[in-house]
Amino acid sequence: MNGGDPEDILNRAARAPHEADPALLARIAASINSGLEPVRPLPAPWVLASGLLAIWAAVALAGAAAFGLYGIARLSGAEIAAIFPLLAAFAWAAAARIVAETIPGSPRPVPSVFLAGGGILALLTVFGLLFHDYRTERFVPQGLVCLETGVVHAAIAALGGWVVLRRGLAVEPVSAGLVAGTLAGLAGIAMLELHCPNLEALHVMVWHTAVIPVSAGAGALFGRLRSIWK
Amino acid sequence: MQPDTDLRALMVRYQQGDQTAATALVHTVSGPLHRFFLVHTVSRRHADDLLQETWLRIHRARHTYRPGEPVLPWIYAIARHVRVDHYRRVHRIETREQQVEQLPEVAQNSVGRSGAGPDLAALLAGLPDSQREVITMLKVLNMPIEEVARATSSSVGSVKQKAHRAYVALRERLAGAKGPK
Repeated sequence: MNGGDPEDILNRAARAPHEADPALLARIAASINSGLEPVRPLPAPWVLASGLLAIWAAVALAGAAAFGLYGIARLSGAEIAAIFPLLAAFAWAAAARIVAETIPGSPRPVPSVFLAGGGILALLTVFGLLFHDYRTERFVPQGLVCLETGVVHAAIAALGGWVVLRRGLAVEPVSAGLVAGTLAGLAGIAMLELHCPNLEALHVMVWHTAVIPVSAGAGALFGRLRSIWK
Repeated sequence: MQPDTDLRALMVRYQQGDQTAATALVHTVSGPLHRFFLVHTVSRRHADDLLQETWLRIHRARHTYRPGEPVLPWIYAIARHVRVDHYRRVHRIETREQQVEQLPEVAQNSVGRSGAGPDLAALLAGLPDSQREVITMLKVLNMPIEEVARATSSSVGSVKQKAHRAYVALRERLAGAKGPK
């Protein structure tokens, strides 16, 4: 290697002309042009995000309506005003992010794990501030029922989300899977808040919130497997 | 490289099925793309393969380009994806076949064969992949820092930090190369 300033070497490299093999380019162009047809660009990101939010809300409301709206009936006005806007804001952020994940070159300034982690932390804080019943009656059996119910609803929301985003291209499948799982998990937790009448602090903080990491982890794993075995 | 507004117009016409625009886009973008791959790969043949694979993916995913958005971050995000996939595939095959004890150092031998320029390839060879990628996009391909951030799914601050660390490492290497023996 020649000694010198890296800037000089980089500038020289930038100025040096570089062409790919013309025969290769001709082959690529011919391949692309054979049967080239017009395509419809993806809808605007806000349209896709709104579609995801509509699915998120529909899954949570339909699930809770089917199983009974016992949870929201037990919540006070202040609790409702604190929990549901937070869930909606978190869901909007996750929906916007998953849309960005499926459009290559979209701005994604924060790693997706921060989004999921920050949201979970915010939910835990709100639940911790709102609920002060620290009994743990039938903690594990009741918790497992809620976790299972939440995860099933998350899976349904994930399927709906796939329909909305099926034309996108996730260039980082693990990150995309993690965010998709987070959004789906939020549908599960929203359903539980509407349905579950158990307001014990630890039950809500552990078992309801656990739907998000379980669902996000499953999404990330799915993304990883897809990137390996496609 | 043409200004991004020209590329945006070409990309929109490509989406509309215009063969002239598709051909123009291939010829405009492929040179820098090929160079991007050369800096990261071990041979010109691999870079050719990656270029073809990238265009295949671009073609299949052309509907994901949003008219009005910058074109290069979209293209390089797909190119990075292709490169990572290719690396994983090669790694998997090599692991399965157990033909080599150790993976070859990426780009270590690209100096003479690559055509990326002997000084450039040798200079960047020792850098971590993420720093090499950022420096190539910023300094060799002359992409704006905001577009590099978009292409690499990171923040402008993170790109600046990687570029700074890369410069520090490069200066140390060059100082070492010039120093007394």
